[in-house]
Amino acid sequence: MNCKKAGVLMSASVDGELSFGEEQEFLLHLSECKECRAEFEDAKKTKLIIKEKIIQFKAPQALIISIMQLTSFNTKEREDTLLYE
Amino acid sequence: MDKTDPTRHTKSKTKKESLSREERHKQLEFQNEAVVHLNALYNYALHLTMNPSDAEDLVQETYLKAYRFFNSFERGTNCKAWLFKILKNNYINRFRKNSKEPGKVDYDLIKDFYHSIKDTRSDTSESESDYFHSLLHEEVYQALHSLPEEFREVIQLCDIEGFTYEEIANMVESPIGTVRSRLYRGRKLLRAQLEGYAKKYGFNTDNIQ
Repeated sequence: MNCKKAGVLMSASVDGELSFGEEQEFLLHLSECKECRAEFEDAKKTKLIIKEKIIQFKAPQALIISIMQLTSFNTKEREDTLLYE
Repeated sequence: MDKTDPTRHTKSKTKKESLSREERHKQLEFQNEAVVHLNALYNYALHLTMNPSDAEDLVQETYLKAYRFFNSFERGTNCKAWLFKILKNNYINRFRKNSKEPGKVDYDLIKDFYHSIKDTRSDTSESESDYFHSLLHEEVYQALHSLPEEFREVIQLCDIEGFTYEEIANMVESPIGTVRSRLYRGRKLLRAQLEGYAKKYGFNTDNIQ
């Protein structure tokens, strides 16, 4: 495997998305290539950084309430018609 | 949509009760499967629109549509991925087709938010001179948003939301090979951006391994 081919497999390896055979080939190349090894470490770090540093916002309370109402409206309506009878 | 029809009032009560039970069952399932992803969906919408009120509208629309078509959701598959796909389609219909600019990008809001959180440099236990760990939340956010959308999107779906390549490929309507290479190139671009920050603050990035 050359570096170009390894590059194609790099992200998929970071994400555990390679087939067994691909993974074996990729690891073999890493063991022989210092540059790709360094790049692989960096790619793993980059993923970690995104996971750690990107903050997830909380949905506003008003939105939560309106979504809850959205999914209970029909029942409410039916309940009301039942009551009126 | 099911509007209450006055003529129905004469129909037998038992039929209505069973209908209501069915609806109730659907609601319960919808809440367990779909509503639990509200925060993730809101964040995705916020990343797409960069505008809180647009994001809220998008999420509302998405849940309305999802509830209406909940029967077509394939049970046992990833409901979060299904919702994300609906949201993405809504986003495209709303902002691309109408050539309406996705609401004014509200950088100040994001900035204020990131300033309001405790964000101090190198407060991690990592003792090695690891410049990656010294980056601020805000810097990583800006670096991510400086990427072209096609790269930012796959990174977000993969690293933040944890979708599989297959799910991402389905969402962005591209082959898995494309997802692979976009992630590879996107992460490379991102790394270059982050190194820029590190250099700016005097971290030596030459000897990183």
